[in-house]
Amino acid sequence: MKIIVCIKQVPDVTEVHLDPETNTMTREGVSAIMNPYDQHALEEAVRLREKLGGGEVTALTMGPPQAEGMLRDAVALGADRVVLVSDRAFAGSDTWATSYTLEHAINALGGADLILCGKQAIDGDTAQVGPGMAARLGIPFVTCVQKVREVDESRLVVERMMDDGYDVLAVKLPALLTVVKNINEPRVPSLKGKMKAKKVEIERLNAETIAAKADCIGLPGSPTQVAKVFAPEARGKRIELQGTLEEQLAQLAVKLVELARGQEVR
Amino acid sequence: MLILDKDLCISCGVCEESCPFGAVTMQDGYPVIGDTCTLCGTCVENCSAGALSLSVEKAEQGDLAEWSGVAVYCEYYRGELNPVSLELLGEGRRLADMRGVELNALLFGSRFSGELDEVAEKLIAHGADRVYVVVADALSTFREDLYCRVTVALLRRYKPEIVLAGATAIGRAFIPAVAVTMHAGLTADCTSLDLRESDGALLQTRPAFGGNIMATIVCENTRPQMSTVRPRVMKALDRDDTRAGEVIVLEAGELLPEEDGLDSRVEVLESVAGASGAVNIQEADVLVAGGRGLENAEGFELLAELAKLLDGKISASRAVVDAGWIPYPHQVGQTGKTVAPKIYIACGISGAVQHVAGMQSAETIIAINRDENASIFNIADYGIVGNLSEVLPMLIARVKELS
Ligand SMILES: Cc1cc2nc3c(=O)[nH]c(=O)nc-3n(C[C@H](O)[C@H](O)[C@H](O)COP(=O)(O)OP(=O)(O)OC[C@H]3O[C@@H](n4cnc5c(N)ncnc54)[C@H](O)[C@@H]3O)c2cc1C
Ligand SMILES: Nc1ncnc2c1ncn2[C@@H]1O[C@H](COP(=O)(O)O)[C@@H](O)[C@H]1O
Repeated sequence: MKIIVCIKQVPDVTEVHLDPETNTMTREGVSAIMNPYDQHALEEAVRLREKLGGGEVTALTMGPPQAEGMLRDAVALGADRVVLVSDRAFAGSDTWATSYTLEHAINALGGADLILCGKQAIDGDTAQVGPGMAARLGIPFVTCVQKVREVDESRLVVERMMDDGYDVLAVKLPALLTVVKNINEPRVPSLKGKMKAKKVEIERLNAETIAAKADCIGLPGSPTQVAKVFAPEARGKRIELQGTLEEQLAQLAVKLVELARGQEVR
Repeated sequence: MLILDKDLCISCGVCEESCPFGAVTMQDGYPVIGDTCTLCGTCVENCSAGALSLSVEKAEQGDLAEWSGVAVYCEYYRGELNPVSLELLGEGRRLADMRGVELNALLFGSRFSGELDEVAEKLIAHGADRVYVVVADALSTFREDLYCRVTVALLRRYKPEIVLAGATAIGRAFIPAVAVTMHAGLTADCTSLDLRESDGALLQTRPAFGGNIMATIVCENTRPQMSTVRPRVMKALDRDDTRAGEVIVLEAGELLPEEDGLDSRVEVLESVAGASGAVNIQEADVLVAGGRGLENAEGFELLAELAKLLDGKISASRAVVDAGWIPYPHQVGQTGKTVAPKIYIACGISGAVQHVAGMQSAETIIAINRDENASIFNIADYGIVGNLSEVLPMLIARVKELS
């Protein structure tokens, strides 16, 4: 089975803030990590290959040249091939243009039986690229997969996490899944994997080699535009409760019951 | 592309300072644009010399004026209308009135019976001018590909200029595929919507980077303008049964006349609601949340008691989900769920940014922690410094007295 995992390099958001005075992002020393959900997607791909006793796992990313480091990590974690789609013309891509670019990259790679994505990337939290790609590829997709129950060369049985439970679905291949984090526990890289990662040749694609149309990529191909970025409103000041712990809790209990009921207690 | 007019550039460096992505560096007196540029336009706005400009040649998608009205996808699943649908009708009504256009609801079901009719009436009573009910047996279960195809057919036929859906598991699953097929822009998980005065474009505001940053997004050149909206941030209108509206029932087969129009490559084998511990914490008014400070899984029993008294539900930090004290559907935060309850009571949670990202839009935040320096107190409206084993039983007893 040919599996392509789409992975994205994201800034470690704990370190990104907007300075309310200057309205700029402070990103000093902000490190880049593999999107956490994508680690689970990669792990699942590797497990499926192991379970089926064969096949190929390709990790694919669209991003700047710095994403190479993450691709090497992907090899250490079990990917067989890694592909970087990179081009200045991709700058400013929103999820529409990103899904277009990745779809073209997947086609340039000869397609896949199964495409795995994270549920969402933690920089934008959109969860839109996976479903968007599936729509373009014209293949069925299932989002928020929390378990792959059965797999063979033509079909998967998966659990889709819903807001209030889960559904069990059978899906014919080729298909695309997005995964949530309780699907598996990602492994730590093996020594052999790390050695392989050092030597692996990163395959490169660009706008031309994936035959992308100029008006479908980057900013020109993005229907959404960022009109403004700003710091979130600060929350109101903390209200101090007075007295001993017991007295504070008495006040808090009244507040709680009032807020929960939407009316005064008396 | 970002274009620099060197003749106008005064080498002031404001572009370098103002770039939110650190993509601009001054070299030999002129800005050089690096790979992290997202073409957001902040530097262009800040350039007092007018030396920077964005050249965007966008393919316009036909006549934008053909598109009119606001449409809300109303999520009816397992016999229940998701409350976010009514919230969106409330917001949709406001936008439609500002634009002077109609508000239409989209509703899917297996067949048009008294039950679905009642739902449609409810949607009208909460603001819809018209309800399009699409029926087919195949629509009784949620399948991403099928729901996408039906929605696309509806949008192509009725051409609304704005489409709203809840940022729920279902909405966020299939709406992105609709947007791509429609060649439309889509903004995920919006927390506020408005119309731009100059041209009526939809201003869609949402948090990004784990809530550290807010961004306002517009889709000027494409229609429809689409958003998924976070549950519980918009206000539903009170039910008003005197409101008039029209219910239009459509057979999905008529909407998708192709032979395989209703085929799906996905088959639902089983649908498990409320399975062990899986609860929809996004809908709760009150969330009592537990973290590592609970010390063990049994700690959740006290939280459950408090939650019950307040008619709330239980959520958790990732630390305790990873520890196996409570299942993943309860996890709040960046890699869990985003919630906006009226009351969030954080018990023994330190307040790591990844947790806060998922709960900071709660109306009132209450923190209980024995460490007075815990960062959760920075965002709390009320803070109690104390040991949970002492505080919780006392608080529960007090609340009981008042109930
Ligand atoms: C990529 C990534 C994604 C993440 N996503 C999430 C996410 O979605 N959600 C999430 O929650 N976290 C997430 N995290 C983890 C996050 O960084 C924190 O580690 C986690 O939130 C900590 O959980 P906690 O507050 O329960 O535990 P701790 O940080 O250990 O805090 C426990 C708190 O309890 C207090 N305490 C201890 N004993 C008592 C007592 N007896 N009485 C009163 N107070 C007591 C302590 O003072 C402390 O403040 C993520 C991390 C990463 C790297
Ligand atoms: N630039 C990218 N390169 C590779 N995969 C991506 C990229 N952007 C998004 N994805 C995939 O799409 C998923 C959802 O991303 P998003 O829609 O940005 O939240 C991610 O978890 C990745 O699997």
